[in-house]
Parts: sequence; C-alpha cells; structure tokens
Amino acid sequence: MKSKLKKHAMLISIIICMIIIYLCTLMGVTSISFVEANKILLNQIFHIDLGMENISVGAIAIIWNVRLPRIILAFVTGGALALCGAAYQGIFKNPMADPYILGVSSGAALGATIGIILKFSSSFLGLNGIAILAFIGSFSTILIVYNISRVGRKVPVATLLLSGIAIGQTLSALISLFMIFNQDEMSQIIFWTMGSLNGKGWNQVIAVLPYVILGCVIMLTSVRELDIMLLGEDTANQLGVDTERLKKKILFSSSLITAAVVSVTGIIGFVGLVVPHIVRMVTGPKHRVLVPFSLLFGGVFLILCDTLARTVTAQEIPVGIITAAFGGPFFVYLLRKRKKGGV
Amino acid sequence: MQRLMPKIMLNFKDVVAAYGEINVLQGFNATICQGEFVGLIGPNGTGKSTLLKCLTGLLPLKSGEIMLEEKNNANYSQRERAQLVAVVPQSFDIDYDFTVEDIVLMGRNPYLSYRVKESRKDYDMVTEAMRVTKTLSFRKRYYNNLSGGEKQRVIIARAIAQDPDIIFLDEPTSALDIHHQIEVMELIRNLNLKKSMTVVAALHDINLASRYCNRLILMKNGQVVVDGTPKEVITEDNLKKVYDMKMFIQENKLFEKPEVIPLRVIKETETYHSLRIHVICGGNKASQVLEELEAMGHHVTAGVVNQGSDDWTICDVLGIPMVEESPFTSISLEKQEENLALMADCDFILISDLPFGHGNINNLSGLENLSGSIYFHKNCRNNDFTEGKLSKRLSDIKSKKQLVEIDDHQEFLEMIKKLTLIENHEA
Repeated sequence: MKSKLKKHAMLISIIICMIIIYLCTLMGVTSISFVEANKILLNQIFHIDLGMENISVGAIAIIWNVRLPRIILAFVTGGALALCGAAYQGIFKNPMADPYILGVSSGAALGATIGIILKFSSSFLGLNGIAILAFIGSFSTILIVYNISRVGRKVPVATLLLSGIAIGQTLSALISLFMIFNQDEMSQIIFWTMGSLNGKGWNQVIAVLPYVILGCVIMLTSVRELDIMLLGEDTANQLGVDTERLKKKILFSSSLITAAVVSVTGIIGFVGLVVPHIVRMVTGPKHRVLVPFSLLFGGVFLILCDTLARTVTAQEIPVGIITAAFGGPFFVYLLRKRKKGGV
Repeated sequence: MQRLMPKIMLNFKDVVAAYGEINVLQGFNATICQGEFVGLIGPNGTGKSTLLKCLTGLLPLKSGEIMLEEKNNANYSQRERAQLVAVVPQSFDIDYDFTVEDIVLMGRNPYLSYRVKESRKDYDMVTEAMRVTKTLSFRKRYYNNLSGGEKQRVIIARAIAQDPDIIFLDEPTSALDIHHQIEVMELIRNLNLKKSMTVVAALHDINLASRYCNRLILMKNGQVVVDGTPKEVITEDNLKKVYDMKMFIQENKLFEKPEVIPLRVIKETETYHSLRIHVICGGNKASQVLEELEAMGHHVTAGVVNQGSDDWTICDVLGIPMVEESPFTSISLEKQEENLALMADCDFILISDLPFGHGNINNLSGLENLSGSIYFHKNCRNNDFTEGKLSKRLSDIKSKKQLVEIDDHQEFLEMIKKLTLIENHEA
C-alpha cells in the first residue's frame, strides 16, 4: 500500500497542483461567481461554449488575463526558486544556501534601481526596461563573482560563497546610496525589492518559461552527480564526477533561471531556502526525487502565498512578506518536530 | 622469483607535488605491479595522502609523472580514472540520509550517465559487492546509523562496485578497534588474493602492514627510504631513521613477520652525566629499569643472568654487557667472580626485584668489597627461598658498608635522574 503510494506520489502531487491552481483562479477581490468563472475557463482553454452572453468582458479579462497568468507565473517562479535552492544546497553542501546567495538578487535590484531612477520605460518583447536592466544586473553579478573566485580552472566553493556575499553587500550599499539621492523613487525601489506578482501577465510567463525549462532539464540530467556531490568534492572526484564541470553547469543554469525570475518578480525570499529543506525532510536527500518535488511544492507554496497576498486585504501585500511570514515559522516547526532528512 | 612479467599498474616517476611553496612529495619513485599488496608506511606528513591526491587527479604534479596502466595519469578524465582506481578514505561521515545501498550504488557512477541508466548488471554488481563485504543484511539502513567498522565495510563495498583494477586505501583502519581492524584488513587481503586486485594502502600501524602486505614502501619527507618485503623494510636502522624513536623489533612467531615494539621517543632535551651502573637481575622484573637506564645514556651492565630469562632477552636486545649462565643452572662462584669484576668500578649497584633461592644467592657474594653504593629492592625479602641465607648475606654487606633499601625501581631511577641530569640553561 505504502509503496504503491510512493510510486504514484508524483502523479498525485501533479493532480493536487492542478486543483490548487484551479481553486486559486476562482478566488479574488473582484467577485466573479463560481459558475461564471468556470464558464470562462472552459471557454478559454477548451473552447467549450456554455453560454458566454451574460458574462462581462471585464470578468473574462480578470480571469484570463489577470488571475490565470499571475498564478502560473507564481507557480513557475516558486518552482524555479525552490529548484535552484535544492541544487545550490547540494553543490555548496551548505544548508544556508539559497538562489540569491551569490548576489543575483542584489545585482537584479541594482539594475532595477537604475531603471526606476532613470524612468527607463521602453519595453522589449513585452518586458519593460526595468526588468531587462534587472536581468542584466543579476547576470553580470554572477559573472563577476565567478571570476573573482576562480583559481585557474577551479572554483573553490567557500571562496564562491564569500565573494558572493561580499559583492552582494557592496551592491546593496550602492542601492542605498542611489535611494538617498533619489528619495522620490525610494518607495518604488523598496516595493520592487520586496517582490510582487502584481500586474504580471502572459508576457512575463512567456519570457521566464524558456529559462526555467532549460534549467530544469540541465538539473534533471545531473541528479546522480548532485547526490554524489553531497559526499564531498574529493569523494565525488574519486567516483568519477568532474566536479568543476558540474559546478559550472549548476551555477550557470541556476543563475540564468534566478536572474530571469527575479528580474520579472523582484526579490521573493524564503521560497528557495525553505522549500528544498521541507521537501528533503519528506523525500530524503536523493535529487532524483528532491528536484521535481521541490519544483512542484515551491510552485504551490508561492501560489498559496500570492493568493493570500492579493485577497486578504484590499491593499495588496508584497508576496515576499507573506512567504517569509509563513515560511519562517513553518520551517522552525518542522525543524523542531523531526531533525531528520539532514539539514 | 617473479612469475612471468607482471603488468605494471602504476609507475611513479620522480613525482614532485606541493601545496603552495612547500614541496610535500620530493621525487617519489615506485613501480607497482598487478596483484601486489603494497603498504605505504612512514610518519605523519610524509606525503602518503598527498600521493593519493596526485593519483586521483586532485593535486596537479609540479614535475615528474604518474603512469596509470601505461598512460599518463594527467590525461585521464575523472570518469575514466574512476573506472580504474577506487579510493577508500580514512573514515567518512555524511550529513545526509543515504541508505547503504544508495552509497554502494554510487560506485557505479563512472559507468553511468544521464543517458545510461542503472541496469540489471549494475544492481547485480552492487549486490555482489555488498555480499562480499557482509553489508547486504543492512542494505536498507541509513549509512549514518552504522558503527565505524560497518561504515568502513560499506565504503569498501562502494570501491568494489567501482570494479577497479587498483584500490587505494588511506588509513583504512585508524578509526577502528582491533576486531574491526583485522576484519577490514582480511577483507582487503581476500580481494587482493581472490580477485587479484592491486592494493595500495597507506597505513600507520606498522605491524598490520607487516602482517598483510607483501611489499612495504617506507617514506620520509616525500621520498622513498626503503622499498621491499616486510623483512627488508622493518629493521631497527630503517625505522629509527624515519620515526626518530627507539624501537625493538622481534619476529612474530605466529605470522613469521617482523613485529615492532615502540619503546620511547628519543629525547634531545634532557641529557645526563654518564655513570656506571650494574643491575643484579635475572628474573622478569628488571626490563624496564634496564631499558630506562640505558636510554638515559648510562653505562649499564648486568649479571649474573640465566640465558633465556626475560631480563636476559632485554640485555641481549639492548646490547647491555652481562655475565651469563646457562639456563636453569645454579650460579657458580666462578661466574660471580666475573660478575664482581664487571661491578668493580661501578658507581651504583642495584639489586633488582628478584626472587632468591639456592641457585642464585651467589649473586650477592663479595658485594661488600665493592666501592659503589648498593641499592636493594625490599620486595626481594618477600620472595626469599634461601632459608635464611639472604638475610645473612645482607647483614654481611651491611656490616661493611651502607645498603640503601628502596620500595620500587622507580625510586632508584628518580634518584639517578636527579643526580645526573644536566640542567639545560637555555630553557
């Protein structure tokens, strides 16, 4: 019975995900009736017409162009962050590792800050200039951090973490400096750094998705090597893992995913740190299971947090606040409940 | 003689390797052939682990080269190398909950990729490796919950699953109790004999190395000092040179291999004025006092001792001049004359803790005419089988000169130490 459950756990989880996506689409500040919402979804996805004449164009727009893309973006973002977190915790062998640890977030924030201050509003491929600057900022930060830490062909993990933190701090200082001299834009910058999915549509989903898919594929092809990496770099080498190549592969793909996601949504914290730990407590440390479940659970977690963010009060709360407010205590609870699974 | 020409598995040619500026390996040379069981011995910091790092490609060589199965080691990829060389590290903890089977299966990694999944054959090899190492019964348990010996066997199972030609062990027994030490070494010897796997093991325990390896390489400062069979390598001269300490080597009769008994670290800080000290012994209690006096640099003599007694063995090994008597023979007065001659210009004479009977009471005759001070171990009175002769002898001595009575040998040693220690004014 139990093994059967294990065997189908992935399928069951996917179904639960779909149900949650569906339920969250129905919820929102604007009241659209249950029947109406279902009719709109059926019509838009499956082109089944159950009488659309009484439904306003506004309602259709809210369900199809506002809520659904936002939920899907939440899923993709949450899943991507959790995935990168799982991979980073593996190659760094450090439970404190999250996708932002190498300064990707600070780089993105600096890019966004510059964009906001310069009122950079032109857009490209449906993305606004701020997102593009944020992407450039985050990706170049990774390149700088990587090159600082590189010793010949090798990249020692400890140096990488330290230089990531150092560069991150420097960039944060720069952002603060910019804010001091541009106090009018201060609140906008602060809001950006808190992360939000407000006002995001299909364009953003399409912009982010290719990176996330590419990253997932790369990581899923490295699961065995990531497992071995947990035994330490020397041992991994002796077991035939080209650790330098693996590190490069994971760093490159995680950075790409994180940069893409952060530049669109701002800095949504905690998902990438906490979700892999929670999943590991249930699935154990093997990446073959850990990676896909982190993706699913991270996605669902962010959908739920975002649904709260947009429904609890009339004034929307940045979702980063919700993730931290719920993730933190929940994580502490789990840690105390069972110190298992290796943290 | 060697059978045919064995295949050369490993050839280290003038290997120099360094951490930063400090050269750890300084021209290491050795050729290792298929089926050998080679022990690397030598003090800490001589480069045994560094050699392993070089072999596994973790540390690039400064100069020289390592040929691994006739191809330069530097030209192997990690994956190719892992198919040839498996490593068993010292002891090994992980922070994550992997089962025993997970860990052993990782040994198959060099043969797998994201395109090549684990096949039936891989699982069979993993099962076989666990069977050989007797780890099959706990395959589903978490590695972290195992004992030290079990963990080491799991790691050896992983190495076997790698299906290597060479297995390199880095201090595989240093964290284990004697039961598990022997268990692990026997397991490795079986691999060596039955699967003709080439084994290279860095070992601290010289006696284990001597017992199991058919060849030893003694290293110091990143170079080979001696390379040969245990009998050729384990000699007092070689070991004294490398370990800078005094040891005593005897043949272990059970295994017919040389065995080391470490005695003391050679101290350079304390020096003593040299005295002439004679120890009357012949039982089995004076070994330590003889050895310590000798180590302090005194001119030690002994007598009369029956050949074959423990005290005689120690004198023989340490080269202490002595008057000998055949085993189980009473000490004749002629021998005692020789003994007295040996004692004639001694500064101190110690009558050590020794049972006296009719056979050896002559050992005490004529002592009263000597110039040296005489010390007597009180415990002799408790092992007096002379029916009054001992007490008479002692009172004869006492009537002519002072006889200092001591409670144990340590007291005598302390007295001598205090008397002869040369103060080190630099300290």
